[in-house]
Amino acid sequence: MAIVHEFEYLKPKTLKEALHAVAKNRGAMLLAGGTDLVGHLKEGSVAPSLIVDIKGLRELKKIVLKGRILNVGALVTFGELMESRVIQSKFPVLTEIAGKVASVGIRNRATMVGNICSAVPCLDSGPVLLAMDAIIHVKAVRGGRMIPAKKWFLQARKTAIKPGEIVTHVSIPLPEEKGAGCYIKLGRYQGEDLAQASVFVWMGKKGQSRVAFGSVGPTPLRGTRIEKHLKGKKLDPAVLDLAKELVSEEVSPITDIRATKEYRLHMCKIMLERALLSAEARIRGNGPKYGKSLI
Amino acid sequence: MAAAKGGAVSDELEKKIDFKVIGKSAVRVDGKAKISGAAQYINDLEFGPGLLFAEIVESPHAYARIKKIDTSKAEKVTGVVKVVSGKEFPFRFGLYMHDRYVFAQDHVRFVGEQVAAVIARTPAIAKKAARLVRVEYDVLEPVLDVEAALQDDAPLIHPELAKYQHVPWFFPKKNSNIAHFRKVRKGDMNDGFKSADFIFEDTYTVPRYAHCSIETHGAVGLFDHSRRLTVWAASQSPHTQRHLFAEALAPLGITHKDVRVIAPFVGGGFGGKAGVSMEILAAALATTVQGNPVKVMWSRAQEFYNTYQRQGVVAKMRVGVKKDGTITALEQKLHWDAGAYVEYGANVVNAAGLSATGPYRIPNVSIDSVCVYTNLPPGGPYRGFGYSEFIFGLESHLNEIAKKLQLDPVEFRLKNAIAEGDTLNYGGKMNPSGLQECIRKAAQEIEWGKKTVSSDPKKATGKGFALFWKAPAMPPNASSTAFLKFNEDGSLNVLVSAMEIGQGFLTVMAQIAGEVLGIPVEKIRVETPDTDRNPYEWQTVASHITWSTGNAVKKAAIDAREQIFDTVSRALGKDRDSLYLEDESVKSKREPAFGLKLRDFVINGIMMKDGTWRGGPIVARGMFMPEFASAISDPETSQGGKPNVHYTVGASAIEIEVDRETGKVRIPKVVLAVDCGKVLNPDLLKGQVTGGMVQGLATVLFEDMRFSDEGKLLNANFTDYKIPTAMDVPDEIVSIFVEHAQPDGPFGARGVGEHTMIPAAPIIANAIEDALGIRLKSMPITAERVALALLDRK
Repeated sequence: MAIVHEFEYLKPKTLKEALHAVAKNRGAMLLAGGTDLVGHLKEGSVAPSLIVDIKGLRELKKIVLKGRILNVGALVTFGELMESRVIQSKFPVLTEIAGKVASVGIRNRATMVGNICSAVPCLDSGPVLLAMDAIIHVKAVRGGRMIPAKKWFLQARKTAIKPGEIVTHVSIPLPEEKGAGCYIKLGRYQGEDLAQASVFVWMGKKGQSRVAFGSVGPTPLRGTRIEKHLKGKKLDPAVLDLAKELVSEEVSPITDIRATKEYRLHMCKIMLERALLSAEARIRGNGPKYGKSLI
Repeated sequence: MAAAKGGAVSDELEKKIDFKVIGKSAVRVDGKAKISGAAQYINDLEFGPGLLFAEIVESPHAYARIKKIDTSKAEKVTGVVKVVSGKEFPFRFGLYMHDRYVFAQDHVRFVGEQVAAVIARTPAIAKKAARLVRVEYDVLEPVLDVEAALQDDAPLIHPELAKYQHVPWFFPKKNSNIAHFRKVRKGDMNDGFKSADFIFEDTYTVPRYAHCSIETHGAVGLFDHSRRLTVWAASQSPHTQRHLFAEALAPLGITHKDVRVIAPFVGGGFGGKAGVSMEILAAALATTVQGNPVKVMWSRAQEFYNTYQRQGVVAKMRVGVKKDGTITALEQKLHWDAGAYVEYGANVVNAAGLSATGPYRIPNVSIDSVCVYTNLPPGGPYRGFGYSEFIFGLESHLNEIAKKLQLDPVEFRLKNAIAEGDTLNYGGKMNPSGLQECIRKAAQEIEWGKKTVSSDPKKATGKGFALFWKAPAMPPNASSTAFLKFNEDGSLNVLVSAMEIGQGFLTVMAQIAGEVLGIPVEKIRVETPDTDRNPYEWQTVASHITWSTGNAVKKAAIDAREQIFDTVSRALGKDRDSLYLEDESVKSKREPAFGLKLRDFVINGIMMKDGTWRGGPIVARGMFMPEFASAISDPETSQGGKPNVHYTVGASAIEIEVDRETGKVRIPKVVLAVDCGKVLNPDLLKGQVTGGMVQGLATVLFEDMRFSDEGKLLNANFTDYKIPTAMDVPDEIVSIFVEHAQPDGPFGARGVGEHTMIPAAPIIANAIEDALGIRLKSMPITAERVALALLDRK
């Protein structure tokens, strides 16, 4: 499909050059993986006057663990997340999430930061960042800001980023206590799909629990009531049943072309239960392999 | 030896058991070209710097009157060559009924219909300028539902219907939205229902589906300065397209001799590239920019909404049955949502109507198969041609009946299954059929009656069973021809015009020629056609080309063989009756020592003692037309004709595991047993079973076409219209072939390409019922629908 819209193209060599370009040009858009942007250009749903291709900014392509803070650069692709030794050993659930994104070809180009900048309701990266209290680091010519994930997602496709800002990286604080996570994504078949609904959980050995949902509201949603309820408890049937009951207080699914709200709500409960049990089993060391389909 | 009356081929080869190539899994003749990338598809062809590109201006309304088209702004864009709309082409055309237009005239009848086109130097310019074409509409209330379209006060979508030219076996109802009404009446329905102990009635619904070929439609037209029109098209029907282009463009003074269609390889057809849909645009637009080729490539979205869609159907049925399971009567009312234009789709309705009993012996039958215009995209041919649609309801319903009678569903089917010689719905006799054997073998393979239990308590298991049948749906005089010519080394070119659309057709034609002539497949070249060079073929549809073109190729090979024997007996004085072909040589039964290589004479002939020559290049021809077929019958009963050349039958069984919480279905095993007569190439047939089954399973499990209340297709993309990936294929697909020869088929073969997807939907529906006790009566049966049905039951 032909791209009709005409635009300027710039490939800066430094972050400073990129920041100046977006500062000067209100109609600028950033190109990293391009898996969303190029589709939108073909459809004519965006009309940038300038495309700033940041793929040459090597400093944004790093995965670094500093103490307990995991930093993921803006140019890190989902494929690179899956292959990262650091992530595989320190936060393996992120490889599970990355592996559920689209298909191999897309994962080789698409970035996690691009995913949260597009901020569609079905994004796979949202629930984990929200639940783990991640920080989004942005820079502008005049300086930087750190935005907590819970303040990042404003509406469907709308984030807290301001004109002239570029996301440099995301930092995820890894909990002190040992634990394990699980991400379950509901799709219409086994092939690549956008989430009809998704659930992320993380359980700590000492009783901490974190829960978030995707595709069941305009933005990813944190399950704070469920977290409180689960804190320090063993996952017996009564505890799980109450956790499932609480789901309808946490999420607000709609009916659209991908699923009805009834199925979304029902599946959030089923997925929450399976994710919790899988995370618990992973802590014990006999859980399902990361990436295995649990639904 | 020669062709028997009626065009059928009867030959001593039929009795020969030790085939050299037939029945063997010969390697595909197009394999190297496809694997190496040498194979060219429409978008690979180069047309030089003069190539122009067309972008289509489409209707945003399902039903509207066109008030005004203003092209002035678009015409001013630099790089735009021409803007064309309906006023240049006020012609109707169509395959079976002339109800379609090159561009919309006074009305648009579906969202996405072509209203105008911009021809420009680049695709981007064409697209940009197309947005500047202003079309003013009077928006009308669309008719989007088949039952609404049948109401007396429904708006008429084609008020001129009575004037439309159509084939003699269509029966449009004037002043209605009924484009064709196929009525079948056999036996006596009163008697049938009176003699029944029970009557079971129900309604089943099948929505629309898209073919989803990986290659979208595309065509390039060139009208040169000698007024020669050449069209390159991704096509299942080069000759039929040539004929329809010539018919449609006749007012411009274009005749058949002027039109040439060249068909490169095709990236999937499934019926969607049969007949003429968007290709007319390349042909018509080319005439407006004489001397320049113009390309029209469909986007994925256009592929969904402006080619053909599989028609939706609402099937109401009543079945009379005795306590012992004997079916006494069947009434079917099939209401087809045929869309805005039915020039092809009405024949789907026709074919399904004639066969809507399924492969059962039912003495009393009443079928109304009604083709209804709606303001949705045009319906048309799709693998299965109406049979997948009615088999879903019928096989679901019969399963329910067996259960209510407390009969085993397989035994119930065995009891009523049609057999050779039984009377068909239109009065003819059933052809040879191994249906009973197919049923038994499929049941045995799936271990019917043995209940499996999942190790996971969340999962229920079930098994499903269904029968299927299908006949080619085609005009009674649909014909195939073949040319055959030798090369100096004894290799062979076979020229045919049926299309390789992935099924392995070219390979099977090489096998047929090779078997007759004693030549290995590797020495035979068969390629996709050019209508100027290759002989006539109706279309690559209806699962008929292995049978029909195969017969033509076989006759051409026999013609070549006879010429070879003539030459050898004349030049060398050999007893003609003793000659036979083997190992690329002519041999003699009487003289074991004699052997003459084909390469020694098939071009240059045989030199005599005096230095003169006998023989010369061997060029042969073959033609097949089923002279026994007729589409003429009593319109009130359908009795009297012989519309179907043969039925291919079979049985299918499945084992599923369904998650009671998520509704997701896993398929450990599926079996398909089919009797398509002699299997010419087992590997290719297994490919058909695998592909057809996976395609059919997707229609029931995933594919879900959604329209807005205004008639706009909401999921014209693979993001929200799901076709299976490798991960969605059943764990095991078992093919079983039962071989009862088709007397008039090449080496005993019958058609099989479409059949393998037909039973997929009801085996799933029946297996889900078996596993969960839930009967879902409309497709698709997605995980969501299963899960919600289970929640509802709680």
